[in-house]
Formats: sequence, C-alpha cells, structure tokens
Amino acid sequence: MSSAVTNANSAAPVSAPFFVRGEVVEGRDSIQRSRDLGVDFATPALNLNNVVHPRTDVPPLVNIPTREIIEFLVEAGQHISDPKNPHMQACFDRMAATHILPRAVVEQVTRHAVAYLNKDTLTRELEQNFSDPKVLDEWMPKQDFTGRKSFVRAYGPRLIHVLPGNSPGVAVKSIAQSALVKSISLFKMPSADPFTLVALLRSMADIDADHPLVHSMSAVYWRGGDSVTESTLFRPQYFDKVIAWGGGDAISNVTQYLGPGLQLVSFDPKTSISMIGREAFESHASIEDVADLASADIMMLNQEACAASRYQFVEGTKAQVDQFCDALHRRIVERAAASGDIRPLDPVMREEIESMLLMDDEYTVFGEADGKGVVIHSDEPVDFHPINKTANVVRVSSLDEAMKYVNVATQTVGFYPPERAAAYRDQIASGGAQRVTRLGEAGPSTIGNPWDAMYPLHRFVNWIANEDGVLDS
Amino acid sequence: MTSAVKKLTELLNSADRYDLSPTQIRATQVEAINERFLDRVAKIKLLGKRANDANLRNIRSLDDVVPVLFPHTAYKSYPESFLLGGKFDKLSKWLGTVSPHPIPLLDYKRMEGIDDWVAQLEDQGVFVSCSSGTTGKSAMLLASASDMAWCKKEAIVAYSWGSGVTPAQDRKMFGLAPVASVARNRVTGEAYRAALQDPNSTPFHYPVPPITVGEMTKMIVLRKKIADSTATPSELQDYENTSAERQKMMDSAVITATDAIIDARGEKLHVSGMWSSLYRIAKLVRDKGFSRENFHPDNSIYVGGGLKGATLPSDYREFVYETFNISPERNYQNYSMQELQSGMPRCQKGQRYHIPPWVVPLILDRSGDHLLPLSSDEYEGRAAFFDLSLDGRWGGVISGDKVSIDTSPCACGAKSPSIRDNIARFSDIDGDDKIGCAGTVDAYVRGMS
Repeated sequence: MSSAVTNANSAAPVSAPFFVRGEVVEGRDSIQRSRDLGVDFATPALNLNNVVHPRTDVPPLVNIPTREIIEFLVEAGQHISDPKNPHMQACFDRMAATHILPRAVVEQVTRHAVAYLNKDTLTRELEQNFSDPKVLDEWMPKQDFTGRKSFVRAYGPRLIHVLPGNSPGVAVKSIAQSALVKSISLFKMPSADPFTLVALLRSMADIDADHPLVHSMSAVYWRGGDSVTESTLFRPQYFDKVIAWGGGDAISNVTQYLGPGLQLVSFDPKTSISMIGREAFESHASIEDVADLASADIMMLNQEACAASRYQFVEGTKAQVDQFCDALHRRIVERAAASGDIRPLDPVMREEIESMLLMDDEYTVFGEADGKGVVIHSDEPVDFHPINKTANVVRVSSLDEAMKYVNVATQTVGFYPPERAAAYRDQIASGGAQRVTRLGEAGPSTIGNPWDAMYPLHRFVNWIANEDGVLDS
Repeated sequence: MTSAVKKLTELLNSADRYDLSPTQIRATQVEAINERFLDRVAKIKLLGKRANDANLRNIRSLDDVVPVLFPHTAYKSYPESFLLGGKFDKLSKWLGTVSPHPIPLLDYKRMEGIDDWVAQLEDQGVFVSCSSGTTGKSAMLLASASDMAWCKKEAIVAYSWGSGVTPAQDRKMFGLAPVASVARNRVTGEAYRAALQDPNSTPFHYPVPPITVGEMTKMIVLRKKIADSTATPSELQDYENTSAERQKMMDSAVITATDAIIDARGEKLHVSGMWSSLYRIAKLVRDKGFSRENFHPDNSIYVGGGLKGATLPSDYREFVYETFNISPERNYQNYSMQELQSGMPRCQKGQRYHIPPWVVPLILDRSGDHLLPLSSDEYEGRAAFFDLSLDGRWGGVISGDKVSIDTSPCACGAKSPSIRDNIARFSDIDGDDKIGCAGTVDAYVRGMS
C-alpha cells in the first residue's frame, strides 16, 4: 500500500530536544507535527516530574541581584548573536523546515529580538514596571500614615508559558522577562518553532551551566490541548500563573484549569489597523510616501505579527483611494519580493478574493490572489482576516466613520498624519484598542511601555507582604 | 452520437450501476467531464477564471481536471455583509458567479429576508440550500429543477442497493431529528415517503419545526454584531431565551418520539435521523424496558451526517441498532457531501462505499494540488469528485476528507471503485494547535458556534 500523502515527510524528522532545568534532553520518543507546514519533528519523552520545582525549594534566582541577572542576560545576548554559535545556527536550519516565514526573516527577527538583551533596555524595563525595582531584590520596608510597618517583596513566581508560534522574537523576550522577575519558568514551545527556546537556553548554559538562571528554566513541547499533560501540570501546587498567548482553543484549553491559586495572564490575539487622513492626497509624492509607510506596517513580520496592519481606513474619494491602493500594492509586492516570501494564500481567502474579482463593481482588487501581494479596495471591511501580504483598504469620508471598526481585538492603530491621533485616542481606547502609533512605526515601542493594556512584569510576580507591627509611640 | 454524460447518468436505471470497473468507464468519464467543461466554461464565471488561469481549453485526462475543481469553500465565498445587510440583489449577483444558468430577476424591493430570497429563487427554478456551518459561514449551494428530479430518484436507488430493501410501501417512517427546510431535503423526504411509507399508516414527523435558512443565519448575524461590539445585552438575552426554548422543545420531542416509537414497535419501521437524537431516544426506549426483541426484525435505518459535535459513548451505533432491531444488512450507510448530489452507498459484505459511474473519484495529495497516481492497490489521499449528474452547479469538488480508495473489486463482488469505512476530516487530524499573537475578533466572541 502506498501512502503518498506522507511523501513530503519521507526524510527522518528533525530532532527537537528539550531543555529541563539546565540539562539538554535528547530523544526521539515521539513524532510531532508542526502547524501550518505539516512538517514532522521528533521529541524526547516528557518526564513531568523533572519540570516541576517542589514548593519546598526556594526559586534559584530569588536571591540573585537583578543587576547580576541583567549582566548574565547581556553576556548571553552576545553569545546568541555570535555567528559561530552552533546552537543558533542549527536552530535556524531546523526552523527553515518548520516555520512559515523565510529563513532570512526568521534570522533577522531573532537578531532584532536579541537587541532586547541590553543593559539599559532591561534596566528601563524594570523601572517602568516597578516604582522601585529594588522590590525584586529585597524585602522593602514600608510604613503607612498610621505608623504600621511592613516589608513587601515582588517575589519570584512559578510560571508556565504557552508560547505563540508566529514570532521567534517572543522567545527571547519571554526568557529575559522570566529571569528579571526571578521566576521558575516552564516554556511550552509552539509546534511552529520547537527549537528557538532550547537554542537560547543552551547558549546560556554554554556561558555558565551552573547559573541559577539556567536552572530556573525549562523548555519542552507537548501538543496543545493534550489533556493528560495539561491536567497534570496546570495546578497551583506546581505553578502560580499561566502566561498564555493566543485565543480560541489555545486559551480555552488553558482556562479550564484556572482556579484559586492558578491565574491567567493572557497576551491576546490582536488585529492592527491604519487610519489615513485626507492629508495623504496633497501631492503625487505624498501618496507614494504614505503608501510606503502603510506598507511597512502591513508587512511587519510579513504580516504575521499582531502589530501588522490588516485594514487601512482611508479618507478620500473613490478615485483618490484607488490611486493610493495602486501605490500600496506596488510597495507590498516590492517588500514581499525583497524578503523572498512566495507563500501562496490560504485557499479560503483565495476563493473570497477571486469571487471579488468576479464581482468587480463592488470591490476593486489590485493584484491577484497569487501570494505576491494583493490590495482590496472596499466600502466596508472584508469578512476574512487579511494575512500573508494582503491589505484591505476601506474608503471612509471621514476618520470619524472608521471609529466603529475599532473593537476589542484591535491592538495597534497607526495614524497619518500623526497629529490627528490625539483627536481620536480617547475613542480608540474606549473601543478596546491598546496602542496608537505613527503610520509606518507599528514596530518600535518606547522601552518599558505597557503591552496588551498592562505592565506585564508587574503582573508576573507574586506580591508578598510581611507585616511588622506599628511604630512604638 | 450519444453524449458521454448521458451514457453515464443513464446507468442510474441499470442494475449494474455499482458494478462497473474503473478501467471499463474511465475514458467515458474523462470524455463526459470534458463535455461538461466545454458546455460550462463560458457560463460559470469562476470556472472560466480557473480555466483561464490554468490555460485549460480541453479536458483530456483526470490530471487536467485538478485545476478546475472547486474547493468546498467556493460556495462560502460570498461577502457576509451581503447576507447580514439583506443585500439580496448583491447576493444574487454572487450566486451568478458560481451558477451555470442566469440568476432570474427578483423583486428585491419587496423582499422580506433570506427565506423570501430562497423562496423567490425557488419559484423560478433555482434551488438554494444553505448549510449550517459550524465555523459561522454557511455554504450556499444552488441546484436546478433537474437536479431535484435526480436526487429524488438517486436517493432511493442508493438506499435500496445499500440496505437490500426493495421499496414496497410497507413501512412506517420515523423521522427522529429536526430537518433543515431546504429544497433538497424536502425532495428526498418525499421520495423516501413515496417509496417506503405504508399508505395505511402515517409517517411520524419529528415534533420540531424544520429550520429555515433564515433561522440558520440568525445566529451568524448576531455573532457578527457581537464581534462589532454592537449587540445589546437584551439581544443576547433574547437569543439565550430562544435557545433555551428550542432546547426545551428538543427535549420534549425526544420524549414524544420515544413514546410514539414504542407504540409502533410491532410495525415494520424505517428510522432516520442524526446520531445524537437517535441515541437519546434509544436510551429512553431502553430505560422504559424495550429493546431488540420488541421491534420488527425487518426494520431499516438511515443516519445522516456525523456526530456534529455531540459526545456519545463509543458503542453508540451498536446501541442504536440493538435497540431498534436493525440487522446488519438493513443498516444503510451512505458517503456523500453537500457539494455533491449523488451518494456512495456502503455494501454489507465489504463494508465499503461504492462509487457509481456518474461520480468520478479523484484522489489528491494532502494539499489538494495534485492528483495521486492511480494505483491498483488501496491508497489514501484527499477526496475530490466530479459528479456528472449535477446540472445547477459545477460538478468538480475538492473535499476536506481523507479517504482510502481501492479500484479493484470489493469483497462484496462489486467491481466499482470503493472507499474504506474510515473516512476522516483533515481538519480533525491536523487539529488546532495553533497559537499566535495575531488573531481575529472571533476569539472574543463566546458561545456562538
């Protein structure tokens, strides 16, 4: 019997070892399948006893000063960026097989993410999350106006991270933030990338295999929703908080285990949009410039990122907006070609776009549903989620009209011209969105700024008080 | 010269319709698909586009068919805003992109909702069926009057072959599930009644009103309003109340049906329904102390669809058969999909689904892009079919199903290609292990699927 459907995977699956509290665990005990590409990878058996730290053991990082943790992370960053680092090179090779993004994009994103491991950045991150970061290092004395005294500590939590598969950059940031709050962390790696976390942790172990940071971290894989593993691990006796990314099944899998003692910190699935004022149409050159800025936001992480724009609300006449769409389409195609991205569109989305092509007086489609970049001009947002080099330009007579399209899933709203943001940001925040930027700058954030409407590190830690009586009168 | 399509579809009247080997008829099938293609390529806009993209002028082999197969999602490609905003003129226009026949002009000014749109189209010979999509969007499948006539005949032919029952109007029919009020269901229901129902008794109609297309789309409309943050709490409360009422009606229907089937236990029955309601009724029948020995030994059954999300004990099938005394040879199973109109009845001996000559199987790779080489052994892949009997829409469809097909004769002796009884959906196999920080507002809409 031939089994032609598995031909694509006839080569031996790539190996995805685990990293458990300082030790690399190799093995090919089970074959897993990556999302999106349907590529197989082999993992060792998961020994659950080893990934849980007994409550009787104080977290290894608790009494390591944050200054030292930062120094270690900075050194790790240098080692990770070293082109001769064998773990990272092997990781990129393997990622090329399992990840939907082209290898060059993955490498670039990882390099960019490693820039986070910078002394000033990490210090600022702590300063923005905590009114006095010393609260991480010591029991801070407090006293209220009645004379009552106490000590407060931001204590290292036990965290279980359910990581997303769309951006390898999250891996770097998650390790750094987990270390800064002195946590014990178990990372559940995504099937699209069961490599980066382990490569990063191995690079850290190269520097000092006995460092408490290395012993605080584990990175493993199980198939999301595996009820035996999740029901076993997701307990307050083992972990304080679940740091979960995504929505849908990924979150409902997690929420069923929440209860007293086990909290959820969620990084929600988000959609980002652009607001483009009539100022864009001042001249031919301005249209080209604005289209370039818009395309930068759309093509962020090749439109896989949550901050990548999907709908662009443009204030103008039909003819003006068509002109903008034409320029935008050219820019998207250029950016896609430059990154080597030739992924075809998902068949469902392709069907919908093709049906729009066939009904051309309702929609104007710039380009084809051929995976090279496409722009759809419509009077209201399309039903599908524009992804994979797809922009939906929605014409509005005024940006006021676009406010109704801001919803609880909206994350970043990019404005052109930037000055117009101030008039709308109250309404945008009320609608549920969390971040307003200049058009073309969906990527950069002020260091230490809130994310997903919170200061994450502040949420990660366990806030513990030691009451110490009242002052002698 | 007789047309190849006609040659193959006329086999509906022939006793050996499930007994023709693929090699015997393959050339005629390719010729028939080409006939359909040449006739339709200028009429169905989407087909024209696909053919143009693939630079296809003729179909000379099964490989040629692949680029012009429609994925099962093609019938969901309409912009939802047409449906939600009641823009029926535009919805008609969309329908026109997948229809081989012109969509008749309707009175859009006086149109009262989607059910009215469906009814007006039906008056003019265009039959639109709407699926209740679990993902939110419903497929809109159109068919012609001649398709309806075909379904009427073919349903009974397949049933009779698969169940071994010669229709003799000697049964009391028990419909044990609510039905969707769409033309195709009405037509096949009539056909079954005409074939099986004893004129001296009355069929049992499940006491839940048929669900109209409009009712199916109500939830989709509300879902969209929730996503847009425009649904008010009282709208949601109304929805919850309606759902609770419907649930109550369903619960009491199960009890009414249980009593009715116990009363009729001495008669020869034909039971139809869905697994979830059949199981609940069977359970109640057992609880009341009735089982196999109380029911007629010649009872027959037809179960439509899968589990539709219901959780049942692993032996639910055996439990239902046992209860109503369905002997294995009277247990009719049929493999089909809403995008096709013909079925593939299961044989008793080989327990395989047999493909009639007017349905051409095309087994593709996982991605659905390439035809797998025909093999003399059983092989598996993504199921695609060309249903030559279809007139009102394009017959070529790619499914979401993973099937194992064998082109050599079956253990039952029939020489037609057949599909093993282990059909799975790729979406179930691949599962949902996807997590990303980029996502849609769907993740923020609770309890609407």
